[in-house]
Amino acid sequence: MKPIIKVSNISKKFRITPGEAPSVRYDTLRESLVKLIRSPFARFRHNGADDTVWALKDVNFEVVPGEVMGIIGPNGAGKSTLLKVLSRIIEPTTGRAELYGRVASLLEVGTGFHPDLSGRENVYLNGAILGMKRREIESRFDEIVAFAEVERFIDTAVKHYSSGMYLRLAFAVAAHLDPEILIVDEVLAVGDASFQKKCLGKMDSVTQSGRTVLLVTHSLGMVQQLCRRAILFNEGRIYKMGPVDEVLSCYDQLCNPPRVSPEA
Amino acid sequence: MISTTDQPASTAQTAIADASAATGLSSYDLPEKPLVTIVPHRSWVPLKLRDLWTSRELLYFLIWRDIKVRYKQTVLGAAWAVIQPLITMIIFTFFFGKLAQMPTEGVPSPIFFYTAVLLWTFFSNGVTNGANSLIGNSNLITKVYFPRLIIPAAAVGAGLLDFAIASVLLVGLIVYYGFAATWSYLLLLPIIVLTTLLSLGVGIWFSALNVKYRDVRYALPFLIQVWFFVSPIIYPSSLVPAEWRWLPALNPLTGIIESFRAVLFGRELPWNALTYSAALTLGMLVYSSYAFRRMERSFAELI
Repeated sequence: MKPIIKVSNISKKFRITPGEAPSVRYDTLRESLVKLIRSPFARFRHNGADDTVWALKDVNFEVVPGEVMGIIGPNGAGKSTLLKVLSRIIEPTTGRAELYGRVASLLEVGTGFHPDLSGRENVYLNGAILGMKRREIESRFDEIVAFAEVERFIDTAVKHYSSGMYLRLAFAVAAHLDPEILIVDEVLAVGDASFQKKCLGKMDSVTQSGRTVLLVTHSLGMVQQLCRRAILFNEGRIYKMGPVDEVLSCYDQLCNPPRVSPEA
Repeated sequence: MISTTDQPASTAQTAIADASAATGLSSYDLPEKPLVTIVPHRSWVPLKLRDLWTSRELLYFLIWRDIKVRYKQTVLGAAWAVIQPLITMIIFTFFFGKLAQMPTEGVPSPIFFYTAVLLWTFFSNGVTNGANSLIGNSNLITKVYFPRLIIPAAAVGAGLLDFAIASVLLVGLIVYYGFAATWSYLLLLPIIVLTTLLSLGVGIWFSALNVKYRDVRYALPFLIQVWFFVSPIIYPSSLVPAEWRWLPALNPLTGIIESFRAVLFGRELPWNALTYSAALTLGMLVYSSYAFRRMERSFAELI
């Protein structure tokens, strides 16, 4: 079978300015002008290698249709960067990825939810942001509201929702997306225990339906339950890829080496 | 570190067998060509107007959100769209019309000022809201993909409703001062479209610049203020000495505002100025769209 996701040699380099907080890394116009006047050719010079970091380096893998691929690894391993590249939010520095299907990415639940709008309005807005057509949202509206269990409050502004209700509604919209490829980052564990169970059940049925899913999570239990294969990332590279049990035990060794890992 | 080059071949194959055996389904036939190809781009990239067209519903929803949110929890609601230009017009009529005796080309000063204030309010709000739109929607930019041009376009588009509401007062003034509506009033529509496009062109460019250079936020109000004074809002272009008239005419808004007034007051249209404005507007829009597309790649990293 042909792969539905084909990632070849994807690398992503981030520039980091030493000694500067990430929040002030944007330039001001004045600084740029001053720099330009002081050293007009500096922009053509190559930067030293020390102020860059490879968040992803030479990542290669393929996913076949219907597969649920777990992506695990310690913090800063490049998992989220990979998902952002595949979601077209950031561009890779080198490499190529091909996606043979419509993609929906859930890097967060409730993206674009506006506190002043009602639950109903937010379902439409969020659905549109996630790439649903208005007709699709209309036809699934009742289902979404029922799944979220917020029928009584659907016309209340979501700022008056409890945080659990808010997350349930947000997840419900996302869960009713219908793309061929679903890219999910750590959004499943929302709400109380019973709703989490419902979410997992929904994910199960999504994966049963033949959807291709890329799933980033720190919940190893979830990976074990939902995925057949997994990729373990470490320091921007694929450390191990294969059947989920092998990858998980490899992760275990990576996380609990004889000495304390600096990553943790 | 384990090499990944030889491993995938075997695992991929077992997975293929697994996946097809487990689900027994392949309801989705893979297309020949990828729907999405992700590669790094260099400098200029195509506009991808088709992507924009596919996302038109999102544009509609974002406009709708902006309008909805703006008037939530306001007592006067949509009346604000009229109050702002109305009060501005009253102040102008008093200070510039009555006290300063500004010539208004034989037109009652309230309607003379209101026409320009109406257009200017729409234009300047569009530029300001457009310029701040990306920063204001940073949560969307870092989490979802869609053509980014939609965001400033929605911010400008949301102003059209305010414009429409405020136009009701203009209709009132036209009737009150006894101007006769003629077929030439249909020309107002392309002039309004032109204003929208100019607002879009300027707003798009500043919105992208605003992501990279936060100075834009401080520079923009000043620029808007200067633009106000070099546009024929509180004075007619005819006030400028003939040998200097080319100077304000460089401003694309000059032709637009003068044409707007000419149509409403039943005068000959300043075709040259209007053509120049239209050409400059289209040029600006094309340039800023390409510039935006070039800068948008780094939005999610910079914002």
